[in-house]
Amino acid sequence: MGRKILLVEDDRETASYLAKGLTQEGHSVEQATNGQDGLFRATDGSFDLIILDRMLPVLDGISVLRALRAANIETPVLILSALASVGDRIEGLECGSDDYLVKPFSFAELLARVNALLRRRESRVGPTDHRLTVGDLEIDPLSRTVKRAGKKLELKPREYLLLEYFARNEGRVVTRTMLLEQVWDYHFDPGTNVIDVHVSRLRRKLDEGFEKPLLHTVRGAGYMLAA
Amino acid sequence: MPTTLRIALLAGLLALLSNLAVIGFIYGRTHDEAVASLHRQVVEQAKVLTDVYRSGGRPALDEAIGDTLAYADPQTAVALLDANGRQIEGNLAQAPAVQSMQEGYRSAVVRLQGQPSPHQAEIQLSRLPGGLWLISGRLVGEGLAFRATLERSLLLALVVAGLLGLLCGVILAHYVARRIGNIAAVANRISARDLSQRVPLSGAGDSFDRLGMQINAMLDRISRLMEELRLLTDTLAHDLRSPAGRLRAAAQAAAESDDPAEQEELLNSVVRNADALIRILSTVLEISRSEALTGRNQFSWFDVSELGAELAEMYDPLAEERGAALLFDRPKRPVPLFGHRQLLAQAISNLVENAIRYGSAGGRIEVRVRPGEKQIRIEVADRGPGIPLERRQEALKRFGRLDSSRSDEGAGLGLALAQAIAHLHDGELLLEDNQPGLLIVMRLPVHPPERSR
Repeated sequence: MGRKILLVEDDRETASYLAKGLTQEGHSVEQATNGQDGLFRATDGSFDLIILDRMLPVLDGISVLRALRAANIETPVLILSALASVGDRIEGLECGSDDYLVKPFSFAELLARVNALLRRRESRVGPTDHRLTVGDLEIDPLSRTVKRAGKKLELKPREYLLLEYFARNEGRVVTRTMLLEQVWDYHFDPGTNVIDVHVSRLRRKLDEGFEKPLLHTVRGAGYMLAA
Repeated sequence: MPTTLRIALLAGLLALLSNLAVIGFIYGRTHDEAVASLHRQVVEQAKVLTDVYRSGGRPALDEAIGDTLAYADPQTAVALLDANGRQIEGNLAQAPAVQSMQEGYRSAVVRLQGQPSPHQAEIQLSRLPGGLWLISGRLVGEGLAFRATLERSLLLALVVAGLLGLLCGVILAHYVARRIGNIAAVANRISARDLSQRVPLSGAGDSFDRLGMQINAMLDRISRLMEELRLLTDTLAHDLRSPAGRLRAAAQAAAESDDPAEQEELLNSVVRNADALIRILSTVLEISRSEALTGRNQFSWFDVSELGAELAEMYDPLAEERGAALLFDRPKRPVPLFGHRQLLAQAISNLVENAIRYGSAGGRIEVRVRPGEKQIRIEVADRGPGIPLERRQEALKRFGRLDSSRSDEGAGLGLALAQAIAHLHDGELLLEDNQPGLLIVMRLPVHPPERSR
């Protein structure tokens, strides 16, 4: 299950904290402390994921990313940045990164995103069976219908999108920010628990009346859909 | 003063140059005129003599040349040469070589009989039947005296023009220095920390007034930004204190506690308060970005009514949970706007969150998008307690202080951010009375005017 991750981060404290955490999750982590070295290592294309700090000495993260994409290296890239404004996030995403995480962040948030990116890479390569199943839950993305134990569930369009995103990340933690970014495509931090309210509505439709819950709350991190 | 001198010299030089151009033109024209009249006389004389020869033959021509020499002025040159180049008749002291002669009009140097030195002349050479050559010409010396007078007066005019130009330059420079001096004096006083100074305007509406107005507008904007910055710093310092204090208290309590369950609870509180701090900081960052008008490069056309519908749908469950109905009145047609979709989404969501937080008791929250020719109004209305008229302006600037019992940090900054985002779009945020409740209106131009960021 372990994957090869390249971590390009010049702040030693952050780098060692992240490397330690990711290694504990079973991944092997290679480190670079400046953009040029990072680019050099990344160009062999053998990594499953690159975690790239945006502000790096010698060559900044955005330039590294552009150079990689120009060289047709499509390894997923997660950008870390202290540049937190909405405009910065959009700019970071438009440069060809797969995700953008603003510092400071919790390790749980980073791990959730790393897993989602690794998962996406996996499913891109794997067979394309379009039906999604989680336990006795069945989702048909073409007709946008959802059945649990053979019984059709009536979901609103946004609830469906939410559930589909959960199902595509089955067994992995999904954070509130990830939901806001991926399901709603908003890149700001709401000051209320608006996401939780949506998840609990979905949970009511999904799990009420069934013995075994599918949608779980992961304390201090987010949610997880798992049989 | 060196600038004044430079302007004076420049004006003098310009006057000199323009006069030089005029004088050069006059001189050139008179010169051309003289040459042209000379040419006319020479050609006419040649034509007359040729005609005489054609009609009357040699005798008539001889007579005509004789008459010409007898009655014409001393500038006239005329000669009849035979095929060998010998002068049969005429007043040339020396005839030119016939072999190299060609018909036509040209300049030449000739010496007349009885004159000591050769002169510049314009001559017409014509070949007559029978191998004869007719030379008809005039000395150029004619009108020379007149030209010399002309040249002298033109030179004098030039000197006078130069002096007058210099004088005008000095006057002009003084005027400019005085007008600029006023502006410079104001700039000086502003540098000496009095930002309230403004450039006095003469009321003439000239370029200096326009410059003054531009500077005043710039100063107004700087003052506004300074004031907002000051208020923001105040708000920030205030808003950061409580979560920071709570964070500190929780951390300390966790360190002192022996009960693992209690410790975990306290550490969670540390994280929550740290998150609140981070959120406040991000909001402040976003406000200062928007007030500095950065982000306009990410503007695009989008449908505001669709965005409103999306956000209303997003916040509907939250409002319902707080006991209020969130209603969105969607316009029948799309409402295109050129702006920053993400930031406007944030602004509207701040307004809606504000309404849910403080106006839910009223039971009904309305979100409206009102399209207009040039302006779009985005309205969020609640039926809560509202804000009294005299405190609305204050509310926009330092919402965080309006109600000290409020525990949601950064809530006030939410409105300040919405206002900053409105400013980014050259729009404004208005607080009005919903009778009862609060009506917040975000008024945005459909397409903000282009201007440098």
